[in-house]
Amino acid sequence: MAAGFKTAEPLEYHRSFLKENCRPDGRELSEFRTTTLNIDSISTADGSALVKYGNTTVICGIKAELTNPTVEAPGKGYVVPNVDLPPLCSSRFRPGPPGELAQAASQFIADIIESSEVIQPEDLCIERGKLCWVLYCDLMCLDYDGNLLDACVVALLAALKNTKLPEVTVNKETSLPQVNVDQRHSLNIHRHPVATSFSIFDDSILMVDPTDEEESLATAQLTVVTDEEERLCCLHKPGGTAMSGEKLQECMSRATVRQREIQKLINKVIHSVNMEK
Amino acid sequence: MFSALQDRVGQILLPGDEFCSDTDDTISLSEPVKSEKLVCGPGLRRSGARLLVCKSGVLRHKPPNVFWIDCQQRRYVPARGETVIGIVTAKSGDVFKVDVGGSEQASLSYLAFEGATKRNRPNVQVGDLLFAQFIVANKDMEPELACIDSSGRASGMGVFGGGGLLFRVSLGLVRRLLAPNSDVRSDLEQLFPCELVVGLNGRVWVKAASIQQTLIVANLLQSSDAMTATQRRQLFAKVQQGAL
Amino acid sequence: MEACSISNLKLREFGCEQSLLSRPDGSASFIQGDTSVCAGVYGPAEVKVSKEIYDRATLEVLIQPKVGLAGVRERSQEQCVRETCEASLLLSLHPRSSLTLVLQVIHDDGSLLSCFLNAACMALMDAGLPMSCLFCGVTCAISADGQIVTDPTAAQEKESRALMTFAIDSTERNILMSSTKGSFSVHELQQCIVVSQKASEKMFQFYRDSVKRRYSKYL
Repeated sequence: MAAGFKTAEPLEYHRSFLKENCRPDGRELSEFRTTTLNIDSISTADGSALVKYGNTTVICGIKAELTNPTVEAPGKGYVVPNVDLPPLCSSRFRPGPPGELAQAASQFIADIIESSEVIQPEDLCIERGKLCWVLYCDLMCLDYDGNLLDACVVALLAALKNTKLPEVTVNKETSLPQVNVDQRHSLNIHRHPVATSFSIFDDSILMVDPTDEEESLATAQLTVVTDEEERLCCLHKPGGTAMSGEKLQECMSRATVRQREIQKLINKVIHSVNMEK
Repeated sequence: MFSALQDRVGQILLPGDEFCSDTDDTISLSEPVKSEKLVCGPGLRRSGARLLVCKSGVLRHKPPNVFWIDCQQRRYVPARGETVIGIVTAKSGDVFKVDVGGSEQASLSYLAFEGATKRNRPNVQVGDLLFAQFIVANKDMEPELACIDSSGRASGMGVFGGGGLLFRVSLGLVRRLLAPNSDVRSDLEQLFPCELVVGLNGRVWVKAASIQQTLIVANLLQSSDAMTATQRRQLFAKVQQGAL
Repeated sequence: MEACSISNLKLREFGCEQSLLSRPDGSASFIQGDTSVCAGVYGPAEVKVSKEIYDRATLEVLIQPKVGLAGVRERSQEQCVRETCEASLLLSLHPRSSLTLVLQVIHDDGSLLSCFLNAACMALMDAGLPMSCLFCGVTCAISADGQIVTDPTAAQEKESRALMTFAIDSTERNILMSSTKGSFSVHELQQCIVVSQKASEKMFQFYRDSVKRRYSKYL
């Protein structure tokens, strides 16, 4: 009976739960799904992490390569993020070139890396104007059940914290780079940006961490990114129903709480991995 | 609400403007209390007690209680009862598919012609022009045309004969042409005698005495689209004296 | 063209022309200082079966950069503009049809996203599509010394510490869309929202004036 109701009237089905201030999966409106984090999941990558937000699964692998810096910024290395939504993760994605959602997510991640200054591009420079690191951050969604952006940001941050770059020196005589693979050091992570997504239901009800179904029924989406100093790195609302300043304030306070939770989680996981070694 | 609307007649309204029904209206004891009935035309929508504007344009009023927004739109949206000029694009079984410039092709049954029966099919070919009336036109259904009125008469509708010229003008000009005592039409009549068929979907068909005159009429109408009344009269006067 | 400057709220000179193109069903060009965008709307027209939605119209937004092909940045801007338009248009009145909005960059001198939004709104209005409210775009930059600059030029954008673009609706003056760059405090964000809401008053008055000008010959 309930299944039939859900299929025939998905909107009414959700409303009847929201009336009681809870959601079909038993969560409260401001409750996140269980978040699990695994780092160093890909042994061949320079850094990697796997994140699960309920069913949503995102894996991030970081590949570091040596390259020449651009002419405009000779003292800077660069980071190239890419979000991939393969047909594997949901029936709505088709094989072929990336769709709008994947492209928008890639742009969003690139914006966050730039805005939050999670790593200083200067740190990636080895020799000014000659040699620098480029970090290819590939984010692959394995299971799509809503809230892609939050999962991507956590995966990226954890993978960056896990990344260890080998020591590189430039030989003075041959001017060729020499890589010392045994001597590795971690990246210098300056900030810890964490994204918190909300869905607005029926123009008024705020829900945190929406599932795929909730996202498709919602009238608007909103993503807030904050760091440990409670500075906002991004307030991304691509459209949808209008929101007042007070509502935004509510979202931002929830986001700062979430930032602390995630940072604690990442530190805990890194600590436990180090202990094992 | 009625008086608030009446105050704004002839003014420009924008989407998002709204009128609230005023509850503090004093009720006079001498006059009988009349219920305020409003008829909302295109561009106006009711939302509970409020009246919302959803198109930009001039607010018009037709006594006693009809209000609408006069909008300079170019895309035609079918409405029931409106007469349009369509082009037959396909014949499939019992229906013709007709392009009327809307978002969907309209269908026209072969029986919806004067005197048509199952045996006596009308002679309609793909590419023919038709003057027809919408009998079904709403957002949820495929629009349907007919070339007969409710009493089964053609009353001017049907397939066009040879010759003539079809061209497009704005929906605003079409409505001005079809208005009773239209000044554009009377100006044109003084210039050339011509056969003029105006469809509410922005299509106009003209046939005058010669091809040259037909072309002149078409060009005049197309250019008078964006002119004020005085500019148009000057142009028409020039044509009357000059070229011919 | 109209110049405008309220105390402490400076917008560049802006201008607009409606129905300047003959082929589209609605068109507009919007100029903010040296930034200029041209918009065209087609529809409601026939929709591809694969994109048909049974209870509302399908809106497609295409952004054409000045040179080259549209890339990832344009795709993300397209998403912002599309979802803003979807929120203000009454799409359920034209089910199973398609609306196409094409935005062509003529020149970019900062505040491009807000110019896209303004041009889009004017073009949609020109096409006579049913809308529940209007919207306008306002860009604010926070300079290195903490000053808020509205409607920044490309040079001001480059120097700024943070950049925010909001779409504001005409009925409640609420936020329809927000897109930010750089980091900033909650207080700064709230300040920028207030400034943008103030600037939107100016924009909506300008919308009204330019529509009046357009309809002046039909009065």
